[in-house]
Amino acid sequence: MPPTIEGYWNDQRGTKVWRSVFRSGTGSSTLHRALAVQQNVFLHLASVKMRRRSLAFSATWYLGTLTLATFLILTGTGILLMLYYHPSVPQAYADMKDLQFVVSAGIFLRNLHRWSAHAMVFLVFAHMFKVFYRGAYRPPREFNWVIGVVLLLVTLFLSYTGYLLPWDQLAFWAITVGANIMSAVPVLGRKMRFLMLGGNGVNANALLRFYVLHCVILPLAAVVLIAVHFWRIRKDGGLYTGQAETDAGGSPVQVNE
Amino acid sequence: MEPKDTGEVTRRDTLIKIGLGSVAVAGCGAAAFGYQFLSPNVLYEPSPIANVGKPDRFPLDSVTPDLVAGIYVIHAPEGFYALTATCTHLGCLTAWKPDLGIIACPCHGSKFNRHGVKIDGPAPKPLAWLKVWVSDDGDLLVDRSSIVPAEQFVRV
Amino acid sequence: MSDQKPFQAAIESDSRKAPVRVAFVTRRTSPQVKAEAGEYVMTWPEGIFRALVACEALAIVLVAMSLFWDAPLEGLADPMQTPNPAKAPWYFLGLQELLHYFPPVVGGVLIPTLVILALVVIPYFNVNIQAEGLWTRDRLKRIRIFTIVALVLIVFLIFFEVWAVLAPTVLIGLVMLFAARDVNQAGRFRRWLALRPLSFWIMTWFLVTASLLTAIGTFFRGPGWSWVWPWREY
Repeated sequence: MPPTIEGYWNDQRGTKVWRSVFRSGTGSSTLHRALAVQQNVFLHLASVKMRRRSLAFSATWYLGTLTLATFLILTGTGILLMLYYHPSVPQAYADMKDLQFVVSAGIFLRNLHRWSAHAMVFLVFAHMFKVFYRGAYRPPREFNWVIGVVLLLVTLFLSYTGYLLPWDQLAFWAITVGANIMSAVPVLGRKMRFLMLGGNGVNANALLRFYVLHCVILPLAAVVLIAVHFWRIRKDGGLYTGQAETDAGGSPVQVNE
Repeated sequence: MEPKDTGEVTRRDTLIKIGLGSVAVAGCGAAAFGYQFLSPNVLYEPSPIANVGKPDRFPLDSVTPDLVAGIYVIHAPEGFYALTATCTHLGCLTAWKPDLGIIACPCHGSKFNRHGVKIDGPAPKPLAWLKVWVSDDGDLLVDRSSIVPAEQFVRV
Repeated sequence: MSDQKPFQAAIESDSRKAPVRVAFVTRRTSPQVKAEAGEYVMTWPEGIFRALVACEALAIVLVAMSLFWDAPLEGLADPMQTPNPAKAPWYFLGLQELLHYFPPVVGGVLIPTLVILALVVIPYFNVNIQAEGLWTRDRLKRIRIFTIVALVLIVFLIFFEVWAVLAPTVLIGLVMLFAARDVNQAGRFRRWLALRPLSFWIMTWFLVTASLLTAIGTFFRGPGWSWVWPWREY
């Protein structure tokens, strides 16, 4: 038995069982580092190499990364909160009280979910403005920008549907106002409101519908769109590095075609 | 990893150890808090203690099933006792057959006598005897979560 | 590429930077042909580690917030009692403020739809792709057009008494005129301002207006959507 922890792990890495799971092996060679990304089902959405320029903080402020991070935090805390939440009236409100006073770490998870949600909406807007001001939406990245706008709408709708779930006064009336705004759409407005709420007012049907939207439909849509969004980054030539913004005469120069 | 010739510890090694150690501590903490979060502190289930009423409700030598509580209250010559009505095989609700004087399980044919002893069928254990006592108001109380040794009677 | 070949050919000759590949790509294909010059680093560990550090910093901030500040929970939902004021979540408060000035069809449907449409089409307009400075060419002509558009907008806003949008519009308009002045003797900032394209000005106007509307809706609106000063007790 080797005397150090490091020695123990090195021995484990040599075993047949380990190598059957992690087939590329570990190491700091370029080959190992390339395989770590390319052979990994989760990571191989990213490219094996990236331009050093894109890693600078001033390039993106890491806003896209942070938005994804908040999404992951929200998914994790959301799933845990779902274990104690019944989407029925008025049980939902009682469950909120339970989470705050009875469930261990319930109040922490609820707070984390709420603040991460606000953070995600803020970060998604910040990301959009940063991409715009850098000019990273220009061809060939136009469609990725459009996907981004759709993701913005999905994020806002996720936040809106989640807002109803505590079933308190804040939730009920905020959603009532929002639904009434939707009914102002000409011709289809009242029908859209009826379909969204599953009824004529914000009641048990609305809560259940918003719950399914918030926990299943919209997260799935978000995951699919995020995957496309990342894939487009690769297909469009990697993260925009904003090279040579102006030529010698001072006028801006189109970089990628 | 280059092999270390001297025994000297580099700053990188120390920082890596601190980093991994913190991750391990955070992981253990998260696991502990996660377990506490997942196990409910409050249960919205009926209390295991069933109040079956005054003892004179039960005539001598009677076996009275209480389906809601899932128990049999039995008034024997030696005194009162209670059996669980849950079959010890796979958890079905048994039935008292007064004509045959036995407790029978519909699922796989286990049969028990009025003392909970198994007479037939695949059940591995006899029906459990439950804790019985008299409350201050004179009611008979049965705690379905407390199993007592067999042949213990409560005299009223 | 002055002779119109139907394809582009690119060969990366530095095999240390990228594997050797030859690509024949017709004009309308999606992958980029020109590999951009620049040093390439391994995504793992450089890219992923930096991303993890950023995520960790965010997680620390969010966890700290969650430990010290509780999310609000008001009383049980009561359909028969509307709280006063009934406010939307903060990212919709700008919209709710707009509803104070315009009817729901305009403020609630028309304007948000136009905003979304405008966002979606940004990358498809040549003026945004070229992104030439607004005041670098045809200065006087553009100043004239700008003045007319700005006056129309300001009259419209005054007519509907939308002071919350009027203030940033006037402010941004003044900055644009300042940027339009002759840059011959100008300092670095004014030169930089003159180079900003039209898309920059429109987006900045939108950002400032939306932020102001949201701030008003959050802090300066009380019962009945009346104006309140947040530092005063009512």
